This record gives sequence, C-alpha cells and structure tokens, in this order.
Amino acid sequence: MILAMQIGAIVTSLILVVLVLLHRGRGGGLSSLFGGGMQSSLSGSSVVEKNLDRITLFFGAIWLICIIGLGLLAKV
Amino acid sequence: MLSAFRSALATPDLRRKILFTLGIVIAYRIGATLPSPGVSYPNVQKCVADFENQGVYQLLSLFSGGALLKLSVFALGIMPYITASIIIQLLTVVIPRFEQLKKEGQSGQNKLTQYTRYLTVALAILQATGIVAMADRGQLFGNCAEKVIPDSTVWTLAIVVIVMTAGTSLIMWLGELITERGIGNGMSLLIFVNIAARIPAEGGNILSSHGGVVFGVICVVGLVIIASVIFVEQGQRRIPVQYAKRMIGRRMYGGTSTYLPLKVNQAGVIPVIFASSLLYLPDLISRLVGNGSAGWQRFIATYLVDQGNPVHILAYFALIIFFTYFYITITFNVNERADEMKKFGGFIPGIRPGRPTSEYLSHVLSRITLPGSIYLGIVAILPNFFLSLTGSGQNQNFPFGGTAVLIMVGVGLDTVKQIESQLMQRNYEGFLR
Repeated sequence: MILAMQIGAIVTSLILVVLVLLHRGRGGGLSSLFGGGMQSSLSGSSVVEKNLDRITLFFGAIWLICIIGLGLLAKV
Repeated sequence: MLSAFRSALATPDLRRKILFTLGIVIAYRIGATLPSPGVSYPNVQKCVADFENQGVYQLLSLFSGGALLKLSVFALGIMPYITASIIIQLLTVVIPRFEQLKKEGQSGQNKLTQYTRYLTVALAILQATGIVAMADRGQLFGNCAEKVIPDSTVWTLAIVVIVMTAGTSLIMWLGELITERGIGNGMSLLIFVNIAARIPAEGGNILSSHGGVVFGVICVVGLVIIASVIFVEQGQRRIPVQYAKRMIGRRMYGGTSTYLPLKVNQAGVIPVIFASSLLYLPDLISRLVGNGSAGWQRFIATYLVDQGNPVHILAYFALIIFFTYFYITITFNVNERADEMKKFGGFIPGIRPGRPTSEYLSHVLSRITLPGSIYLGIVAILPNFFLSLTGSGQNQNFPFGGTAVLIMVGVGLDTVKQIESQLMQRNYEGFLR
C-alpha cells in the first residue's frame, strides 16, 4: 500500500512539473516583482490554457491525496 | 477608507478577483504546513522547538514563512523562482541573445519568462537535494538528537526531493494564477503572505520573553518605521517632458506636457536580497565543507555570520549601496529612455534631445539614488541593533525592520494601487487620497 502510494506520488510529481512548465509563463520575471514595473493584464486565457488548468488541478489533487495518505500511513 | 473597502467588495468582478486571490493564498498556507512524505512530523516539531533558526537559512526561511524548517511540501517556497529570475536578469547583461530577447518586447519577454521557469525547476531540484541531504545528516537543525527523516534510505530521500520539486513548480503555478486572474503580482504576494504569517509568532515571542511594555514600544517603533518606509517609497522626482505638437493627416497629436517619474528607491528591495544572499554564501560553503575549525572558517563565523559584529553590518551596508547602483544601471537604461523620447518628439525643457538628455537623466538618477541606497541600507541593518530583543540570528525575520518591512510595504502598496485602479473604472473614491 505504502509502495503504491509512493510510486503514485513520484509519478504525479513528475507529471505536475511537466504540466506546470507547459503553461504559458505569466508574471514577467523580476521587474514586476516587489513593486515597480507595469502590469499588462491583457488577453484572456485560451482554450488550451483552460484545459491545461483543469488537468493540472486534477493531478494536483491526486498528488495531494498521495502525500496526505503517506503521512497518515506513516503515523499508524 | 472603510467605504472604499465596501465598494471594492460590492463590485462583482473585483470581488471575484479578491476572493480568488484569498482562496489561492489559503491553499498555499495549507500546503506550507503539510509535511513531506517520510518526514517525521513530531520529531521536526521537537527539533524546531529547541532550535533558534540561526545562520545560513534565515533568508530562505524568511521567504518560505517557516515552511522550510518544517520540511513541508512547499518547503522551498518562492525562493528558487526569485533566484532564477535574478540569474536570468543578470544574464541579460552578459549573454547577447538574452539582451536581444529583452529588446524584442512582449514575445521576447515571454521567452525569457519561460527560461526562468525552466531554471526554477532545475534550482528547485538542487536546493531540495541540498536541504534533504542536510536534514538527513542532521545539520539542518544544529545538533538535534531526533532523526528528522527516520527511514533514511535513498528511495525515501528521493521521494522527498521529487515531491518538494513538484511543490515548488506548483507554487510557481499558483503565483501565476494570481497574477493572471487575481489581484496584484502573484509571486510577490506569496512572499508577502509568508512574511506576514510570521508576525504573530514573532510578536508572541517578544511578548512572552520581554513583557508588555517592551512589546508596546516595539509595536510603536515598527509603525513609525513602516510609515517612514512608505514615505520614501512614494517619493519621486518628476522630470518634466514636453511633447511637440505634430499633424498627421488631419489629426493633431502631442502637444502635451507630462513628466518622467524617477523614484527615490528605483531598485526596490532587490539590492537587499542580493546582498544578503551574497553574505550567506560563504557560510553555506563553510558548512558544506564540514564543521571543522580551520582558520578561514573561524574568520567567516566571527566576521560574516555574527549579526552583531560591526564588520558584518558594514559589509552588508556597503554591499547594499553597491547593488542599488548596479541594479539601477541594469534596469533603467538611460540611453534607451532618451532615444524613446526623441522618437516621439519629446524633450526635457532646456535640454536638447539625444545625448545631452541621456547625460542629464543619468546625472539626476545617480544623485537621487544616493539617498535611496543609504535609506535601503539603513532600513536593512536597523534590526541588527535590536539583537538583544530578538535573539541572535533572527534579525532578518524580525517583522518590524529590515528586508521584511521593505518587501511587505512594497508589495502592499503595489497591490492596493492595483485594486484602486480597478475601482477607478467604477467610481472615483479609492483607498489612497
């Protein structure tokens, strides 16, 4: 059981990293961090982006469940 | 003020944005307390209790809001992203291709952001490995007897590293979601949350160990510091710019007179972050080499790590001033501004367009940066004089001075301004008058 959860956590972690990197980067790096710099919040999210959001959320949920499950199993 | 709050919440799309931001912040804080698989939570609690966070990790743990020492899923926090963006920012000066991308405008900027994201993941793997290795060897908590990761096989350690990396990329995504659909800049807002989350604990610490009077005095001093930081942050020199009138077809363009704002503190808190990361580097190296007591290691421990040492304070101050100038010359390109002005038919009254304008701008900028950099240095080293109250090594975490106040005020002002500009679309009464 623990092994399955561990494998699940690893797989979902890797998928999460890839999925997040697939997203279009927002935020414009350092210049807009900590004040200063202008905001350009134009252009809504595309369909691709929306679906990607959904998939990321789905895998995020599985990832969370695996981690919480591992924590609970370790306690018992 | 209160009516502004009410009208902010009464506006439907603004309310949705604020609630969205709050939801993400809550999710983030929950993740920050969730321990990674394989980490023994009770043992960590015991170790944190008898370990005053000293030395190397104060900056890291400041940015992670205490999540680092709990070895939680979001232990690395936003730090890899900050480091990655600093590196990319510096590389734009060195690598010609990056400079080209930066000049390209929006699409080039997007590409640079994408590089930053890749670098963030790489750095996350590195830092997670380092931290897990330290925790496994028991170096993270000084000399704590409990085993933080009880089952220290390679398999368990690898899982922790992978999960932490995924957590970091998830944080990156959360920050981007806030930037995109919420209020303010997501990344800086998450840092803000991390710092703000420490305030109650730190305040309680001072209250319980020094009594009510000292606590009250510290609160008043903190408020004064915050007010003065806001005062300086808002200060700017407005250089008048006159645009020539011109006819294009039948339309009349230009003829307006505006101003070019030069902030007193154009660089923000980035010099402080640069300086403190540079100062903690030697300590990190000497710890990684091993806890020997060679001459150079003792030198580092006395002069660079000890927060109360005058050498440390002076070095910190000098580094901040240097980095303020350095960063401003990188980010604010005087020649570019002058060229832009010339292109659109603008000029500063009394000064010719082109090279004289850029010379004038750099003259004003270097003059105005001097008080700005000194102010940054003073605010950053201020907590070093309160060491007796906060305990050694905690000064950067001290919520009423130093990096923490600078970041909080900067981010807070920015976010409020953005809410206000959204409010302006509906009605004209905002927060700031």
